[in-house]
Amino acid sequence: MFREFMGNGLIVGWYLLSVIYLLLQEKRKHVRILFVYVPCILLLLFFNPVFAWFIGLMEEIYWRLLWLLPITMTIAYAAVHICGRARGNARILTAVVCMILLVLSGSYVYRSSGIVKAENEYHVPQTVVDICDAIIIPGREVRALFPDEMLYYVRQYTALVRMPYGREIFGWGSDELSNLMHQETVDVSSLAKLAKEYQCHYVILPKEDKFEGSLLDYDYILFDTIDGYRIYKDTTMNFDVVF
Amino acid sequence: MAVLIIWMFVIPAFVGNIPAAGMGKEKNDPIFKWVMGQIFLWALFQLVCIPFIIFRPVLSDMLIVYVVLTVVLLLCSLGVCTRSRLRLKAVENSDLVLQGSSKNKSRLHYIFWGLFFLLLAFQMIQAVRLAFSDGDDAYYVAEATAAEESNKLYSFLPYTGETTELNARHGLAPFPIWIALLARLSGIPSVTVAHVAVPLMLIPMAYGIFYLIGCKLWDKREEKLPLFLVFTEILVIFGSYSAYTAERFLIVRSRQGKAVLGSIIIPAIFFLLFQILERIQKQKKVEGMLWLLLTAAVTAGCLCSTQGAELSCILLGITGMCGCICYRRWKLLIPVLLSCLPALCYAALYFYFNN
Repeated sequence: MFREFMGNGLIVGWYLLSVIYLLLQEKRKHVRILFVYVPCILLLLFFNPVFAWFIGLMEEIYWRLLWLLPITMTIAYAAVHICGRARGNARILTAVVCMILLVLSGSYVYRSSGIVKAENEYHVPQTVVDICDAIIIPGREVRALFPDEMLYYVRQYTALVRMPYGREIFGWGSDELSNLMHQETVDVSSLAKLAKEYQCHYVILPKEDKFEGSLLDYDYILFDTIDGYRIYKDTTMNFDVVF
Repeated sequence: MAVLIIWMFVIPAFVGNIPAAGMGKEKNDPIFKWVMGQIFLWALFQLVCIPFIIFRPVLSDMLIVYVVLTVVLLLCSLGVCTRSRLRLKAVENSDLVLQGSSKNKSRLHYIFWGLFFLLLAFQMIQAVRLAFSDGDDAYYVAEATAAEESNKLYSFLPYTGETTELNARHGLAPFPIWIALLARLSGIPSVTVAHVAVPLMLIPMAYGIFYLIGCKLWDKREEKLPLFLVFTEILVIFGSYSAYTAERFLIVRSRQGKAVLGSIIIPAIFFLLFQILERIQKQKKVEGMLWLLLTAAVTAGCLCSTQGAELSCILLGITGMCGCICYRRWKLLIPVLLSCLPALCYAALYFYFNN
């Protein structure tokens, strides 16, 4: 767990060096307590299985205990401390060297996965916005089956659209309908039957062509096509305004 | 947009006059007022919101009570402000004279401040320009949207929209409801408030806390303070060395309560503990306001995440013990324990609902 938290280990390495540096150089007792003693005790506790059992944090979030280590503050403080020891131009040079070392040791946060240029003021994909706007009926909620890539965003954008399943299918829950949608080829008659059981007003089919048969044969109409996604409307469902 | 600016910057800064009045050197620091005012308001929000979630989960009712209490705080702040301004006018004048006669700031001082603001502006622009996709948004942002649109609190499963019972793990840390409240007050959709407005407030606030800690470490006039802030910015911008760092959470997941806990509340508790230990070190009296702020920060931690209760108590406990041993002041444990009380109460509630 600690190894995963450390990543490449360089920044945490600088942090541990900074703690040792402050242990040797820092004279103010209250600063030593917060920057040196408390983190050392915390690390001892973190690696202690009895403590882990005692505080009862779930295993997958136990690493959050490491947020109590003031990593950024300590490295920055030690770096400034070191720069402060230099005089004249050497001070600027030391600061620049420290900055370069930190840049090279870390990883650029804006290059992380899942970061894209925002398409609108909602910061959700425009296709999701367009599909939701198309199927929303003022005065009532509708239930719609969405392709996997949209599950994260639909209910961030609007609570007026319900879904038979959501993000939980990616980790800790699946049902008959989601299992069917994840098959290599989807039997449309089963899909239509299950979608009706789940009371879906709409079925939005992904672009990939893995469907055997057509929903048009099961009381559906092709309501709209947005960015290649086909939106089918179940004509047997109730669309009356309820509030 | 103006309403959001008022609720995220102006009102917290104004409420911050209350804690500032009970402090020493920080009395006139606008960053201190803004940060501590917001922590005060978050604590108030947690105190108001939890009973509503349990007994009457209706957003509009909770909103009325919260707004009325905020107005009361603003009136108190106004009173505090007027009184202390009259009393301290002479002192402030002498402070200004002292500042005027201080040594000249070096060119480096201005260069580092310039670099700091440049990097801050870069992060704010990126927060608006880029969309940060994270799976947990499907819960937290959807919860805010559901609360705003349905007017009900924690009554629906955010993933699907089906009705549900209260989930204690999420319901006792209602940070998404704070986002829904901002959305209701401003008329801007929760999703936009969460992804655009909240990061624009929380990123500068995180650096505001680094600034306050830096002011404790060095004199404001030295170039060391802006250099310290530039280093913190580099560590945040290049803080994605693993998926678990608080720095990465600040940028990538800033609208989630756990990011606020890791990047704002824990550093704020660290700052307050610094102040307390510094006063003990200098054998000065620890103001009651500092303990009150610490309690507010712990309560705000509970608003952000259910782990906020555990993490803040662990930090307070270890620091309190270290302070006791290093300064041989065992009585220090009493206010430390009292500051942990809100966290203990919310933890008890959590166990009550989970059993």
